[in-house]
Amino acid sequence: MVNFTVDEIRAMMDKKRNIRNMSVIAHVDHGKSTLTDSLVSKAGIIAGAKAGETRFTDTRKDEQERCITIKSTAISMYFELEDKDLVFIKNIDQREKDMKGFLINLIDSPGHVDFSSEVTAALRVTDGALVVVDCVSGVCVQTETVLRQAIAERIKPILFMNKMDRALLELQLDSEELYQTFQRIVENVNVIIATYSDDSGPMGEVRVDPSKGSVGFGSGLHGWAFTLKQFAEMYSEKFKIDVVKLMNRLWGENFFNAKTKKWAKQKEDDNKRSFCMYILDPIYKVFDSIMNYKKEEYEALLPKLGIALKHEDKDKDGKPLLKVVMRTWLPAGEALLQMIAIHLPSPVVAQKYRMEMLYEGPHDDEAAVGVKTCDPNGPLMMYVSKMVPTTDKGRFYAFGRVFSGKVATGMKARIMGPNYVPGKKEDLYEKAIQRTILMMGRYVEAIEDVPCGNICGLVGVDQFLVKTGTITTFKDAHNMKVMKFSVSPVVRVAVEPKNPADLPKLVEGLKRLAKSDPMVQCIIEESGEHIIAGAGELHLEICLKDLEEDHACIPLKKSDPVVSYRETVSEESDIMCLSKSPNKHNRLFMKACPMPDGLAEDIDNGDVNPRDDFKSRARYLGEKYDYDLTEARKIWCFGPDGTGPNLLVDCTKGVQYLNEIKDSVVAGFQWAAKEGVLSEENLRGVRFNIYDVTLHADAIHRGGGQIIPTTRRCLYACLMTAQPRLMEPVYQCEIQCPEIAVGGIYGVLNRRRGHVFEEMQVTGTPMFVVKAYLPVNESFGFTADLRSNTGGQAFPQCVFDHWQVLPGNPMELGSKPYQIVQDTRKRKGLKEGLPDLTQYLDKM
Amino acid sequence: MAQFSSNEAVSLSKTINNHKQLANTPDEHIYDYYDIKKCIYWIQSNEYKKVCLQFPDYLLPDSPKVANHLQNELQQTVYVLGDTAYESCCIDYVAAAHIDADAVIHFGPMCFSQPTCSIPSLFIHEKHKLNIEEFLQIINTEFSSITDCIIVVIDSPLLHLKDNICFNQNNIIVKSITDSDLNVQESTVIYVGENDRKLMNFNFIHKPKQLYYYYNGNLSSYDADLKILKRRYFLIEKIKDSETVGIIVGTLAIKNYLKIIERMKKLLKLNGKKFYMISVGKPTVAKLANFPEMHVYILIGCAMNEIYESRDFYRPIVTPYDVEVALNSNASTDLKFSYDFNSSIAHDSDNLAATDKSDVSLISGNIRYNSEIKMNEESRLVLKESSGALIESHGAGFLANRSWTGLEQNLGQTEVMLAVDGRSGIAQGYANELEL
Repeated sequence: MVNFTVDEIRAMMDKKRNIRNMSVIAHVDHGKSTLTDSLVSKAGIIAGAKAGETRFTDTRKDEQERCITIKSTAISMYFELEDKDLVFIKNIDQREKDMKGFLINLIDSPGHVDFSSEVTAALRVTDGALVVVDCVSGVCVQTETVLRQAIAERIKPILFMNKMDRALLELQLDSEELYQTFQRIVENVNVIIATYSDDSGPMGEVRVDPSKGSVGFGSGLHGWAFTLKQFAEMYSEKFKIDVVKLMNRLWGENFFNAKTKKWAKQKEDDNKRSFCMYILDPIYKVFDSIMNYKKEEYEALLPKLGIALKHEDKDKDGKPLLKVVMRTWLPAGEALLQMIAIHLPSPVVAQKYRMEMLYEGPHDDEAAVGVKTCDPNGPLMMYVSKMVPTTDKGRFYAFGRVFSGKVATGMKARIMGPNYVPGKKEDLYEKAIQRTILMMGRYVEAIEDVPCGNICGLVGVDQFLVKTGTITTFKDAHNMKVMKFSVSPVVRVAVEPKNPADLPKLVEGLKRLAKSDPMVQCIIEESGEHIIAGAGELHLEICLKDLEEDHACIPLKKSDPVVSYRETVSEESDIMCLSKSPNKHNRLFMKACPMPDGLAEDIDNGDVNPRDDFKSRARYLGEKYDYDLTEARKIWCFGPDGTGPNLLVDCTKGVQYLNEIKDSVVAGFQWAAKEGVLSEENLRGVRFNIYDVTLHADAIHRGGGQIIPTTRRCLYACLMTAQPRLMEPVYQCEIQCPEIAVGGIYGVLNRRRGHVFEEMQVTGTPMFVVKAYLPVNESFGFTADLRSNTGGQAFPQCVFDHWQVLPGNPMELGSKPYQIVQDTRKRKGLKEGLPDLTQYLDKM
Repeated sequence: MAQFSSNEAVSLSKTINNHKQLANTPDEHIYDYYDIKKCIYWIQSNEYKKVCLQFPDYLLPDSPKVANHLQNELQQTVYVLGDTAYESCCIDYVAAAHIDADAVIHFGPMCFSQPTCSIPSLFIHEKHKLNIEEFLQIINTEFSSITDCIIVVIDSPLLHLKDNICFNQNNIIVKSITDSDLNVQESTVIYVGENDRKLMNFNFIHKPKQLYYYYNGNLSSYDADLKILKRRYFLIEKIKDSETVGIIVGTLAIKNYLKIIERMKKLLKLNGKKFYMISVGKPTVAKLANFPEMHVYILIGCAMNEIYESRDFYRPIVTPYDVEVALNSNASTDLKFSYDFNSSIAHDSDNLAATDKSDVSLISGNIRYNSEIKMNEESRLVLKESSGALIESHGAGFLANRSWTGLEQNLGQTEVMLAVDGRSGIAQGYANELEL
């Protein structure tokens, strides 16, 4: 059945030029898993007839039931390419000499925006991406998001137009219309690619081009697909034109006049677009004759196309026959395999330009060179991008990619978590790798060792890593860069066990859940509430289900979803705030003011960060935000956690002993930035200025005990006198629907404080795309509400976009922010009511 | 002496924050209110020579009158303890030992903590009022249909009325809160007294099946404060996360306090955590923030201590119970929370074991250090970059991360100067600084 053995795969792993690591990415419901089946069946893992229905890579029960991919799943497959196709691989680093076989490590990823973190994790360990687009609905928001991410990670894309069967059977587009649709999708994709990279970049040409064979067409469900190469091969003998040249003729503005046998560059009365004539017309004919039961017609047609049916298939008719015919004529696995092998880079090619994006350390150390040259004899460098649950409860396979060296069962390696800093001990463990394994969809196979350029799983590493990490044998290695997710965990629920005695199981379960998902956060709040934070409602729903059924195995009580807020200020403090230390001998004078728009985001994105050189940072702040240069040079710290979007700036002049209390003031600032004065939420976008400090002449009387609590009090006073505000997270929401439903969308959005900022028709379709900002807090139940108001025709995709000030004064009784502050305080077990300024502000 | 302590004037003029109304009992009531007769009888029959009187702060205004009464009757000097080192509910043996006292008489609210019993002591409770008729009537009507055993527990300020409280029903038993054999686990309890820390502790220590309290003419049902119990989860995670722990000695008067400290030390050591013993008298925000390298403080103190719940401290303060749950993998599973360590863990077995399973922190989301892994590392020394000196991690590592590491000598750069007159006095208030 399976046409390769583990030993064969292991042998292939050494042939690094014949390896392709790829992910399948797309918008939700565009048919990734279904399409993947074609390849899996070509590899003999599932029967051909079942391909398209099995969704082999949807390994979980709920994935099968809901027909939605939740987790990304990897599978390794071995294929051989025919000699005639091998010549298409021109780059010497893309093919070992005299090797026909290719090892394809494929990761099927989820398309729903809530699970984008899985896509990010998949992209990190692969070099190429098969972008699947439903040719009926075109390029959607998630297509764009994942494609953008792929480009940013330097992943080379190829394109596949899926669901051609629907275009033909349901929409009944004529061939020119269908060509236009294809053409538009290719353009759209190339526009996105061009926005985020250019052809002169390190990846070389990234654009997809049907005439080069990097765009495929077909139907995953029916198991057929082609690229222009397939058809060019069919016709090349007839026309006596070279395949490559013919491929160019089969796309774009190339028209053929059947009577005069002449090619032309424009449409004329009696000529026809070559793509329609030579590719679409035969397909249309097959469809038409079979679906309309014209038996004689198709019995005559099939031999002409070189299709010989098996005996048992001869009695079929209608759709089943169509499937068999198309699958035999244009087998999807073959077309995909060629696209992948010819157009996606091998690790040797990809790692050369990806190294600088992957490695944090100097680009010329042993590890960097090992990664860059994909050297199996270099030091081991492996990035673990996610944890995959094993059948053994609570244990995980660490799943990742070997970029350099070899990882082997039993070898001793350094395991470095994301907080590891070279030279320090934090987040660093030296342990033996218990076992290396090969991930095969729902199965795993033990394997002795895995050389660089391959994707594999490790046993026994899960105890030392939470979600991701770097595994190396090189003592001075830095971390591989942590992944940047396109979504944030902004929706939270509190959970507790139905039976209080089950609490230890819940805690254990939360820890497992934290590992099993790249994005979810499991936190215990100061009040002792157990919180799960996820990207959206669906993500949380799946996490809760997993927690209840797999990780904790106890019945749970769940709160309604809530969002976390941020505290900020809207004006500069109206007075100079003074706080005295408990011994009254030290005084701090400070003010708070809001940061200019965009600075908080710059800090979030790392464009302004605490590790920058202070001089260049000051210059940047001066140029972009008009900050005073001397002040900008004296930024004491960022907070909370030393990196957050709030600043503490020293604006004093000539204060004695100031450097001595810096640590204490910073500690107080971190404390206050983490727990704001209103409801102990994080601060955001606040700049605190220290204007003056008087200190006791004796060191013991200006120690941490006097300064830390006083700093916090003073900062609280600053916040309260600077018109404090709450900030709420806002989704960017993209809704696709037919024109008649647009009105309903506006209604729903208005009720939920959303506002539309873009509305446009998708060219060539009756569909509209509405883009809107929607507060996350108002998004609960939004999908259902939208469906019921539009007759089920609108389908939203929401991604966290930004923080936005919630209008209203939280210090004003009865305002909405006031109510939120009170609710939060109540939930956290704080004293209800408003904080009292006199507690924080002292008089001279 | 002036060099070592602050000016008396400062202490005398200091305003003290007090939640309770200061007492000012009329002279004619002193004798009864403070049970002078009972005190005299106790002192005389035991023939104590030096007797200390301990008052909580809010009763101190009455103390001279009480002392006068006693001195007049006994014809011997009695001593008033002006301040208590830790909580005023516990007997301050240390202060009493300063004058080598034979006995202590403790006035006002007391706690449940079992004392170390080094000096004989007598507790004199306050005498609050209660409308007994109304109380009996309410109880009779509310609980007439219940035939199970009901225990009425009387709080200390009302104990003088105990003999007047009696019920017709046989199933209602009246007990005093000071009784040593309060066995109420299976029964419904009506607590006669205020809903305050004491009631909360009563509930944690005795765990009655159901608890009501009667105060100011109202009968209400008492539910354990879930917030306090929930916060334990957070604190337990925090302890597991911490590397450096401060053990605050917050009592010298409670039985087993040394044993508990030893137990805490052993647990911390087993789990590879660094700890420091800290004795700062009454812990305050300012005192504890002087040790920013601590991640968590364990307060070994009286259950009545309010700072257990305070959120103003720079680092969280936990109870020995929390540490036991967090760090001892042999902790018995039916351990119940109580602020009072004597009723939660003091009598547990000495069989301690580290929690050495690898673990994810639910606070930081990182992998947690654990002892087993730590010990495997080749050494626990880190290299201090600039000087090349070896320093141990933990507390020292914290210092190495500070931006201010001490005075720079600037040898050869600082101008040489003649010695000048310095300041005199102590830093809290130098002679030239008192006007501040």
